[in-house]
Amino acid sequence: MRVPFRVGFEQRGETPRRLSLLVPLASVFAALFFGALFLVATGHSPIDTYSNMFQDGFASFNGITDTLALSTVLICTGISAAFAFQMNLYNIGGEGQLYLGLIGGAWAGIALGDHLPTLLMVPVVLLCGALAGAAWIFVPAFVRSRLGTSEIVSTLLLTYIGASLIKHVIYTPGSFFRNPNTSFPQGRLVADSASLDSFGSSRLYPTFFLALIIAVALYWVVKRTEFGYRINVIADSPKAAHYAGINANRTTIWVMLISGALSGLAGAMLIVGPYGKIEPSIITLGYGYAGIVVAALARNNLGLIIVSGILFSGLRVGGNNLQVTTDTPIHIGVMLQGAILLFALGGEAFRRYRIHVVRVHDVSTKKVAV
Amino acid sequence: MNENIWVLMSGDAIAIATTLILAALGALFTERSGVLNLGIEGILLTSAISSFLAADASGSVWLGLIVGSSIGALLASIHAALSVAFRANQIVAGLALVIFGTGLANFLGKPAEGKTVATVIKPLTFGPLSDIPIIGPIVFGQDIITYLAIALAIVASRYLFSTRPGLELRATGDDPATVDAQGLSVARIRIRYTMFGGALVGLGGSWLMLAQSAGWHQAATTNGLGWIALALVVFAGWRPMRIIFGAVLFGFTLQLPFTLQAEQITFIPSAFLEMLPYLATLITLIALSRPGSRNLLGAPRALGTPFVRDER
Repeated sequence: MRVPFRVGFEQRGETPRRLSLLVPLASVFAALFFGALFLVATGHSPIDTYSNMFQDGFASFNGITDTLALSTVLICTGISAAFAFQMNLYNIGGEGQLYLGLIGGAWAGIALGDHLPTLLMVPVVLLCGALAGAAWIFVPAFVRSRLGTSEIVSTLLLTYIGASLIKHVIYTPGSFFRNPNTSFPQGRLVADSASLDSFGSSRLYPTFFLALIIAVALYWVVKRTEFGYRINVIADSPKAAHYAGINANRTTIWVMLISGALSGLAGAMLIVGPYGKIEPSIITLGYGYAGIVVAALARNNLGLIIVSGILFSGLRVGGNNLQVTTDTPIHIGVMLQGAILLFALGGEAFRRYRIHVVRVHDVSTKKVAV
Repeated sequence: MNENIWVLMSGDAIAIATTLILAALGALFTERSGVLNLGIEGILLTSAISSFLAADASGSVWLGLIVGSSIGALLASIHAALSVAFRANQIVAGLALVIFGTGLANFLGKPAEGKTVATVIKPLTFGPLSDIPIIGPIVFGQDIITYLAIALAIVASRYLFSTRPGLELRATGDDPATVDAQGLSVARIRIRYTMFGGALVGLGGSWLMLAQSAGWHQAATTNGLGWIALALVVFAGWRPMRIIFGAVLFGFTLQLPFTLQAEQITFIPSAFLEMLPYLATLITLIALSRPGSRNLLGAPRALGTPFVRDER
């Protein structure tokens, strides 16, 4: 088959600012449009579905506070993913590290709870969760830096192992993490000193501000510190980094450990916040995977992750309520996440390249700049 | 009785290996062309539910298999478009496909929840051959797709290493610039094999649904098989014949918990048995790694990198 034109890609020297904003926005709208086609095809009303989602995700007191509450977790898993991604390290096991954060946090909350005041206890729980998350990524980080084992597959396999672990600690009779007072298997509540209060009647916890502070602080670390400089050099050119005497192995391990710790922290935030115990349903929620989408949509920019994290949370919160208000399956929310990311990736090409269509056999090549 | 259960287990291990062989072969063809498709898990899930719905509506398992494979190719074409035409980051594109596929599958699967497959793929019988003790049920007790999967692996091996198109495919994954200089279209080859790979993965997912599962269990239907398949390709050093061996090996670890449970061997916690296949995959993966081992293992040299002809 001969086509009468050829599509040319021309690398842009510098991306126009308007495109940096336009492309993510356009991909959200394209995904929503695609989702609408799908809803129509399966006999649902897209207008009702979307207006319900918007209403429940952004446009009511409960909606907006629930959205910010969920974004607390997604911002953490988002920076966890982005922090590693920016160095071309694909930690996609944030999901599993989050499970371990839940276990680590719950352990501290139960075992140490009666010995420490809240002021100390909450930071200890968060720290234990972060450490557990970092521990869960230690083996992948170590073998990645020493042997070159693909961290993509290893971190992911560990997620499945982590899910089994969550089930094990909750469903095994007599388990430390299981509530001993009920026959129905559920998590044992952490001590009162390890629980924060939510704001007023909302389900939003102060951990939200901690997530914001961490995002901004890490943004600063990457842009302004020597550690961040090393990350950038290795990401741009491992060879140049080598000649500059940068120890890439050590940086690889540290970046991955920090990434694991951030996902673990997200799990521990659920312990001091809304859960207060290990909730086995966590393994069906995919907050860790959502972090990957949040990171990719923000193009690994740690500051922009706050925006994409909140946007995505709204989508999830709105989607979750759909089941209650309409008969549309809630999975439309997850599907839209994937679709937005796919469109964003396609849109990336317009941001990076000047794309023009060149007619073949035509002397006056007609350029259609996009 | 003790012997029977182990024979049964071996048969089941080979049966489970079918999905792994098909999915890993699909990933192998894709990766041999230089495209890394991490979206296998999403393709497996979506094709599984599509095949269920098609078989349920039409009453024909074969139509189910065809629909499942087509959906597999269709989803893979999204990946091909993004990674070949748009030169997107293939890792992120694959992950996006997993998320999209999982959501799509669960969305489509809503009406299928709680239903069982009405028509299933039945094992073939070879008359007296199937009655031979031990060997009979293991070798002659499988269904047609299992035999097809093994045959496909053998044919794929011949195709890759002894035919001209196979050579072109390998060259595209190793050294696309040379293929381009030969006047062949790198993009066309990559798109073609990515879609073909997706169809194979789709066949694996449909078979899993129609021959193995009793019904739709959302993401637990595939439960990470797609990721195991990806690790299997590394394990097999991108060689089809070794995939058969690896798939049966992993089939055993996947089947072991059920057999031990049936035998009421309970001194090993069930959670540990559940972890076993993933743990085994992880350990194998690490054991196969050496510093700078990617080329040594036989990974296509241009895997995951978009081909850009010097345009300026």
